[in-house]
Amino acid sequence: MLSLYRPGDGILHRMAAGPKLLVLLGAVLAVSVLASQWWAAAVAAGVVVVGYAVAGFGDGLLGMRVLAQQTLMLRWLLLVTFVPQLIFLGPEAAVANTARVSAAVLLAGLLVLTTRVTDLLDAVERGLRPLERFRFDSERAAVLLTVTLTTVPVLARLAQEVRDAQRARGARPGLRLFAVPFLILSLKHADQLGEALSARGVR
Amino acid sequence: MNAAPAIRLDGVGVRLGDVDALRGVDLALDARTVAVIGENGSGKSTFARLLAGLVQPTTGTTRVLGLDPARQAGELRRRVAVVFSNPDAQIVMPTAVEDVAFSLRPDRLSRDESRRRADEALDRFGLDALRDRPSHDLSGGQKQLLALAGAFVRLPELVVADEPTTYLDARNARRVSEHLLADRGHRLVVVTHDLALAERCETAVLFAGGRVEAVGHPTDVIAEYQAALAC
Repeated sequence: MLSLYRPGDGILHRMAAGPKLLVLLGAVLAVSVLASQWWAAAVAAGVVVVGYAVAGFGDGLLGMRVLAQQTLMLRWLLLVTFVPQLIFLGPEAAVANTARVSAAVLLAGLLVLTTRVTDLLDAVERGLRPLERFRFDSERAAVLLTVTLTTVPVLARLAQEVRDAQRARGARPGLRLFAVPFLILSLKHADQLGEALSARGVR
Repeated sequence: MNAAPAIRLDGVGVRLGDVDALRGVDLALDARTVAVIGENGSGKSTFARLLAGLVQPTTGTTRVLGLDPARQAGELRRRVAVVFSNPDAQIVMPTAVEDVAFSLRPDRLSRDESRRRADEALDRFGLDALRDRPSHDLSGGQKQLLALAGAFVRLPELVVADEPTTYLDARNARRVSEHLLADRGHRLVVVTHDLALAERCETAVLFAGGRVEAVGHPTDVIAEYQAALAC
């Protein structure tokens, strides 16, 4: 999961969420359809570097520190994408395809890095509003998206609590021992969150 | 003719699964601050959820601020705010200011107005320096204050707080209690095991086994509760 909003004053921060979503979607689609060749890897990397440079994160390194942090978070995805292709398709396809996949994820990450969730919520709700004529609840869908994004750190903390409690009781790590209490805690959290949302006026 | 009390329950029962959480509850409460005390499983939290329209009565009638929670849930939620014991379960948005502003979404305010009121609420609860901090990185006390800011930003007529100090240390519990009890033009119903907090309310209600055992001045009701615990 890429980390969320970073304050900044660059062009992407100033852009309205809706147009920004379309621009980044266009960029993601463009890098996705590149050929599996060396030059495509260079183009994909170039687009990402330019994207992070113009974002204006104010990290003192023209966005490259943030880019490095985001890339580090993707290391397992890169590994899983790169190694099998290297074995079966050769180095050129492996590098190009891995570059395209990581560029797409990193460009998508620019949306949440430069957009407050409130603005994203408003943009999604506005974008889905035409579907209301088909009895689609755009507000509920937008809130669902937001809650999904913001529940990730809570679930991570619950998982850590379960692991710590089991370690404290001398239990050996295991999927079954972990999954049951984690599932119960997660469902309990979902129940409480549902009540809190109702209490805050969400239908 | 006397005005109707803010909270009125007539023969209210609530069945949750196989359990009668509330049984034949008759209550008329009009005090500004009401403490609800009792042992675990006595029906206190169900009573709080009933007032907020989060559970429906199986029998009897309920009126909160003159509204029927079963039929007028939307209106009730505009006028009643709820604070739960676990602040983590109340936080929806990634930063403090966004989370407070989230409470104003049903009011469809402009973005500027929403931000202004959220900033005011954060300021009032001493969280202005934390406005852009990730909500889930706040301490337990700060999270509960954030939950209070999210509740009070809507200028509710009634605040229902279900064990709001349970997860807090003594200092934060005191701060949260002060904010709840301060007169901001709201009524308060607070479910609590903190008898010092209950003592500071105008009226107390003692629940046991899903029934109301006592209603009256907190000193008398707490004494009755302590006598029951000693048996």
